[in-house]
Amino acid sequence: MNVFVIIYYTLLLGGSCLAAFYNKRSAFLLLFSLTLISFILGIVGGVGALRIVATCAGLLALSAMVSYAFREFLVAIAPTNLAKELRTAPLTAGFGMFIIFTYAIAGIFAPWIAPFGEAQIISSAFAPPDETMLLGADQLGRDMFSRVIFGARNTVALALAGTVMAFLLGALAGLLAATTGGWFDQILARTSDVIMSIPSLIFALLMLSIFGGELANNTTSFWLLSIFAAVTGLLVVTAVSERSLMGWIIGLAVLAGVSTSFALGMLVIFNPSEIILILVVAVIYSPRVFRLTRAVAGNVVVMDYIEAAKLRGERTWYLIRREILPNSTAPLVAEFGLEFCFVFLLIAGLSFLGLGIQPPTADWGSMVRENATLISFGDVTPLIPAGAIALLTVAINFVVDWMLHRSSGLKG
Amino acid sequence: MGDILRLVGKRLGLGVGILLIISAIIFFMVELLPGDIAQAVLGQGATPENLAALRKEMGLDQPALVRYFDWLTSAVMFDFGNSIVTGESVVDTISTRFANTLFLAAYAAVIAVPISIVLGVLVALLRNSIFDRVVNVLTLTSISSPEFFLGYILILYLAVKTGMFPAIASLSNDMTFGELLHRTFLPALTLVLVVTAHMMRMTRAAIINLLASPYIEMARLKGTPPWKVIVKHALPNAWAPIINVVALNLAYLITGVVLVEVVFVYPGIGQALVDSVSKRDFPVVQACCLIFAATFILLNLAADVGAILTNPRLRHPK
Repeated sequence: MNVFVIIYYTLLLGGSCLAAFYNKRSAFLLLFSLTLISFILGIVGGVGALRIVATCAGLLALSAMVSYAFREFLVAIAPTNLAKELRTAPLTAGFGMFIIFTYAIAGIFAPWIAPFGEAQIISSAFAPPDETMLLGADQLGRDMFSRVIFGARNTVALALAGTVMAFLLGALAGLLAATTGGWFDQILARTSDVIMSIPSLIFALLMLSIFGGELANNTTSFWLLSIFAAVTGLLVVTAVSERSLMGWIIGLAVLAGVSTSFALGMLVIFNPSEIILILVVAVIYSPRVFRLTRAVAGNVVVMDYIEAAKLRGERTWYLIRREILPNSTAPLVAEFGLEFCFVFLLIAGLSFLGLGIQPPTADWGSMVRENATLISFGDVTPLIPAGAIALLTVAINFVVDWMLHRSSGLKG
Repeated sequence: MGDILRLVGKRLGLGVGILLIISAIIFFMVELLPGDIAQAVLGQGATPENLAALRKEMGLDQPALVRYFDWLTSAVMFDFGNSIVTGESVVDTISTRFANTLFLAAYAAVIAVPISIVLGVLVALLRNSIFDRVVNVLTLTSISSPEFFLGYILILYLAVKTGMFPAIASLSNDMTFGELLHRTFLPALTLVLVVTAHMMRMTRAAIINLLASPYIEMARLKGTPPWKVIVKHALPNAWAPIINVVALNLAYLITGVVLVEVVFVYPGIGQALVDSVSKRDFPVVQACCLIFAATFILLNLAADVGAILTNPRLRHPK
């Protein structure tokens, strides 16, 4: 019996008595069962086990406090309508939003936050942490902490670009398929069936084995990007310029310009092998987005107001933009979050396998692989980038969970 | 009975059709390479004579369509040609590895399926309690973590710090079955963690969906005890979704295995695939992809057929 144990049990018992007194049933159950578990753990594992439990509970309480404060902060600065929605968010969603916010800050201001450059070699390999290097050095002697910060920029940006492209193609195709129906719908649906019946990681590996080598150059990636943009744009042009030749001509001219400048712009931001990765991800995930969008839009299309709009003589593009899209935003936004998680995990997995983002770019997946040998010495450093991946996906999932719950009225 | 056979036959036909399309995708994708495989093998400095000789040897002088059907017919008889890196027969290198992968997946499934179904039903019954919320957060965390994160955490705590299990799942021929189970426990446990979370959430959703239906409410209103509502009324209808959930997750296991195999240096087919992708050994890549896709489709098919067999309304379509 030392002071720590006495304080520990006093706090727990006091807390459960207070909870019982104020009729907080669930809090009481939680606290008291924790007390009972601690009795057993304390006997089996001694003070050490109790310390671990206390640390975990403390961390949990701390993150709950952060989530609560951050949610209240958002409620305070948001406009009234949004604030009302935010007030309903559970603590997990608040935690998720806080984490996403932190990552965004880390990603955007990476060069200013990180003390060293991402490829800067500053010490010997696997040097232990000291006051200049918070997390020590990696296998080439680069600062681990700076690389984790830069990873927030590189990995997330890549995953975001992949998701956005998958989403543009998938959602546009889905909306158009639901509105027009017929053979167009059938062809797209069957194609997406086939692509979805190949496991995503396997398909990604197959495509990377083809496009990963000498094909990952500026010319190829420019053409592939242009083709992708052209296919996506063609969907828009089809919807906008219905049965008018002039519309088609203008649309195609605009499309050619837009897709070329898009491809050039992407080439400025990413290097060719990253562009190949983005395209692979976009091709794999757009059928999934297409499926969902088509299902959601399919439910909206049968509504009376769509019928009314059609009778008014509105065009497809108007229907999509003004009638269908506003009524299917909520599930689509949630789907965007989920898809981002899948894409992020796929890219992290590929990088971990050494086939994704190429060195010397700092990236969480490949950092785990490069420093994995440290694990066998009982060092947790390689787990930090892996944990960073997990934390972001968990955070997004928390937020998405709340949004799905809210939008569907799902009582589960 | 005839109806069922026809339904199942229809699904099987569809599966074979999709597999054919996928095999075409896998084959013709390699055709997109600049030059061809012969060029890739010999590199840029190859003389035209050497190239022509190799092309003749590999049958590359034939048109693509002819080669596709050759490849397909030999693939059906488990002949995927020779590796272009080692020159050995692809089947010989892959077959033992495929057996290893199947073993690992089966090992994980045997642990994961009972646990997740029992827990899933339990959580569905206790929904919105503290227990349910805690489980929800835990499963969400486990799903969102990359497989290698879970794998390395297990290595760190169960292999390096406590030394209970080996960190590297190397296999040899003279191992007893118990030793094999011990060696492969950590990779199996990693898979179990991921798959259990998925399966539990899906089981929970399926059961909750079911418990909301009017006939369950009717059973409750007429005073049937809760356990009887579950066992007699809910469970017979729950088999279809549960079988679906299990089959879908087994399909997921087959692909999740790739990352886990690399983490634990397990000699499975996933590792072979990753190695051959970085070495650009196309025959092996094609063979592995085809095997993975076929397994995936087969399990999805099993899910469909299982759903048909357990659902009287699907068994006797109007």
